[in-house]
Amino acid sequence: MYFRIIRNDILRSKVITLTTMIFVSAAAMLVSLAAILIINLSGALDTLMTQAKTPHFMQMHSGEIDTARLKSFAEQHKNVEEYQVVEFLGMDGSEIILGDHSLSNSVQDNGFSVQNEKFDYLLDLNGNIINVSDGELYVPVTYMKEKTTSIGEKAIINGKEFTVAGFLRDSTMNSSLSASKRFLVSSNDFAEIKDLGSIEYLIEFRLKDFSEIGEFETAYASAGLEANGPSVTYTLFKTMNAISDGMMIAVILLVSALVVTIAFMCIRFTLLAKIEDDYREIGVMKAIGLRISDIKKIYLAKYASLAAAGSILGFIFSLMFQGMLLENIRLYMGEDENTSLAVSVGLIGILLVFISIVAFVNVVLNRFRKISAAQAIRFGSSQEMKPGAKHFSLSNNNLFTTNIFLGIKDVLARKKLYATSLVVLIISAFIMIVPQNLYNTISSKSFIQYMGIGDYDLRIQTSSSAKTDDIVTLIDSDSDISRYAVLTTKTFKLKTSNESEENIKVELGDHSAFPIEYSEGSAPSRDNEIALSTINADELNKKVGDVITMVIEGKEKDLTVSGIYSDVTNGGKTAKAVFIDNSAKAMWTIVCVELYNKSLVESKVSGFSNKFDFAKTSDIDEFVSQTLGSTISSIEMASYASIVVALVITVLVTLLFMKMLVAKDRYSIVIMKAIGFTISDIRAQYFSRSVFVLIVGIFLGTLLANTLGEVLAGVLISSFGASSFNFNVNPITAYLLSPLMMIFAVLISTMIGTSGTGKIKISENIKG
Amino acid sequence: MMKKMIIGKNIVKSYGNGDEQRNVLDGVSVEINEGEFVSVMGPSGSGKSTLMFSLSGMDGIDRGKIVFEGMDISAVGDNELSNIRRTKMGFVFQQPTMLKNLNILDNIILPSMRGNRKNTAKITEKARALMKRVGIAGLEKRDIIQVSGGQLQRAGICRALMNNPKIIFGDEPTGALNSKSAHEIMDIFSEINANGTACMLVTHDAKIAARTERIMFMRDGKIVSELKLPKFDGKDIDGRVETVTVKMRDIGI
Repeated sequence: MYFRIIRNDILRSKVITLTTMIFVSAAAMLVSLAAILIINLSGALDTLMTQAKTPHFMQMHSGEIDTARLKSFAEQHKNVEEYQVVEFLGMDGSEIILGDHSLSNSVQDNGFSVQNEKFDYLLDLNGNIINVSDGELYVPVTYMKEKTTSIGEKAIINGKEFTVAGFLRDSTMNSSLSASKRFLVSSNDFAEIKDLGSIEYLIEFRLKDFSEIGEFETAYASAGLEANGPSVTYTLFKTMNAISDGMMIAVILLVSALVVTIAFMCIRFTLLAKIEDDYREIGVMKAIGLRISDIKKIYLAKYASLAAAGSILGFIFSLMFQGMLLENIRLYMGEDENTSLAVSVGLIGILLVFISIVAFVNVVLNRFRKISAAQAIRFGSSQEMKPGAKHFSLSNNNLFTTNIFLGIKDVLARKKLYATSLVVLIISAFIMIVPQNLYNTISSKSFIQYMGIGDYDLRIQTSSSAKTDDIVTLIDSDSDISRYAVLTTKTFKLKTSNESEENIKVELGDHSAFPIEYSEGSAPSRDNEIALSTINADELNKKVGDVITMVIEGKEKDLTVSGIYSDVTNGGKTAKAVFIDNSAKAMWTIVCVELYNKSLVESKVSGFSNKFDFAKTSDIDEFVSQTLGSTISSIEMASYASIVVALVITVLVTLLFMKMLVAKDRYSIVIMKAIGFTISDIRAQYFSRSVFVLIVGIFLGTLLANTLGEVLAGVLISSFGASSFNFNVNPITAYLLSPLMMIFAVLISTMIGTSGTGKIKISENIKG
Repeated sequence: MMKKMIIGKNIVKSYGNGDEQRNVLDGVSVEINEGEFVSVMGPSGSGKSTLMFSLSGMDGIDRGKIVFEGMDISAVGDNELSNIRRTKMGFVFQQPTMLKNLNILDNIILPSMRGNRKNTAKITEKARALMKRVGIAGLEKRDIIQVSGGQLQRAGICRALMNNPKIIFGDEPTGALNSKSAHEIMDIFSEINANGTACMLVTHDAKIAARTERIMFMRDGKIVSELKLPKFDGKDIDGRVETVTVKMRDIGI
């Protein structure tokens, strides 16, 4: 019997059933995909890091190195299992030519290494340790993805010819977040090219007990060992490897939460409408003695089968799409061995979706208890309905035309019903506007304030402090230049509260020349002052006015925190001070330049680039877009995608609701027709219903986007190091184009959704 | 000689298709004069409601022709039909056909409000007068579920009268009411008719039909007989009912 009831019901409302099923299967698909991706990612990541024997602790260091001292440290420390110093031969991108492509525009620090003997292996795409022969070059897998080169092509490194023998996975530097990329060559070849670049050392440790990494780090820092460069732990390698796919999974989870909500809303709406439709039948069933649970079963059966069909479909889709989304994980980390586990976790996810839908339907159906059999049979409709907005009556209405009035009145009278579509429209407006605002903020020129950079035109960066003077001499005599400042970044030891030491990068120089915005306090102006980036301040637990102790020129010195600023560069961990230091070696120096005539920026940049071939000269806008380029473009993509998603949701849901409403309101429609309202009058009423709900939805959605959305985006941005985040809104796209697109989508779908009104026959729906 | 308002010629309307096709109206010809008070009787399924729906342009016909005030309404479009229904016709149905969202007053003024909101005050005034006339003054702000069936039917009549129609169609307008309410409603119809508005009632109640001046009897989609009565003056209702029942027995309805 259930089957027949379900079949008839589905045949009678094809569009509605289909739309609901689309949302259910989309929800199921996304949940399943997220589950599959999580299992694959963690599995593949573990496999990669196990096979490659990723170091537990790695200190990058440029400059002199005392291997004997390091060796004795490693031997004496009880927790060290293995230790090695790896040479990384950094080379300018312009010296590396792969096939037809030069890497001169690459933002990566490209360099060469030989295969390691003990751990931190470079693996081929099958997960095996690569054995490289003379004349062969293995290229980081990133360049395979970017299609920069392919196997068998010639590569020219600083004039020496190699053959690209394959691609490599590098468990420490795979990630796009890691600025360095390692190429693999044979020991003989490495020896040949060794003098053509600058050597950086990777001091690597494997520990017996990784859980004591904190103590090890402290011990390393306290021993005063080589530390001119960043240090990374196993956990951070893992995070960096996981982050881009992890972000994707997070986004999928977020979207699936949204779609599940929408699926629930659709089900609630169709179910409420159906109950109202079947009111009399339900009353009759109650009257003849069927128990509520029996009546519920009929409805549950329909939605359970709909949810089951949607879930199965969603599962099939997720299996179809998983390949596409797993591509990146497979390329960078390799195949996960546990595919069957992933699929079964996906199934569990889908089962959860299914169960929650059935439970939800069950809750909505509890309304049956409130239906009085007597009332249902006598009136054929719910008498508990309290028409809302009583004072809003036609006889007092001078504001709207009758059709608009009737549309708005209907919305106000049936708030609960329209609340459902309102929620969906709010969500749509929200997901349309937030990514757009985020993109607009990040891509805007004022975002520079979050990068700890002042307002200047171009920057010249060099790691050779000796040559800085050449730059300064030339710039000082250049009449096009209005102002300049030299900022040198050095690493210092910082005494932490528990008497151990940490490294901190401090940018020294005149910070008043090109001031940045301080979220608290102000720029350091005296020798004993320092400004900290937000992340540093948080990690050190320091506020403005607090004192930190640093080791400068061998002596401990107290510095007062004068200000805190946003910085998303260098991992967000920077500091600024003005004191003079002659002991520590400069990591890099930046000459900030402001021109009288802004139109000269381009020619100056190319002029300085030629003159200072040892330095990197960049236009500040270009610098920003290079540093944040990939983030900006992926957020841009996401903002377009979310516009499309929002519009699709809007169209589908409006279509669904309009179809439902027309079916549900047949009786009111024929009354209108009978007393002389035309079909266009009636459709005008439906248009005003949807536009009224839409306007409220857009308003609330936009409000929410600029409050809650801003907070959410702020949380995201602050994880990169920016504080006191505010949206930079483009009012034309956010407040004009987006609403217009939504209105257009709603109008079109209302038009389609109400096209059935003309076909409703008076004689068939009115009981004479 | 009375002027003819509605002329229906050889109206055929069928439902279903193929072997199951059935003519609900099987070549019906009918005329209704201005200011006339007519009724249609017949057993269930005889086609009397369908005839009313067809004559009022609410339902299309398959063959034949319907002329209303000189206009062939079987050939005009939906919008034109809506305009005719709104301005020249009024409808009262068996079940009260009111919009749930609106109060009684708003339901009554609804057909007059289309594209006419500048005159709201005047329209509302008229509605109140009509409500007083049919005895439901004071119910203006009530919801439709807060009044009785008889009161709702009176409100329906008010709505039908709002645009000063030439004719009021009533499809079993007293069918859902007790006999006291039914007679009160019929008194209102008589009064409306006395003021010059034509009325066409579909009923299977001889007591109702007996108050009209011409009764058409239908069976199997055809008008099988007609009975003319003098205008009802409030007297001898029993004699009129007797005449009607005798006629029904004669033709076997």
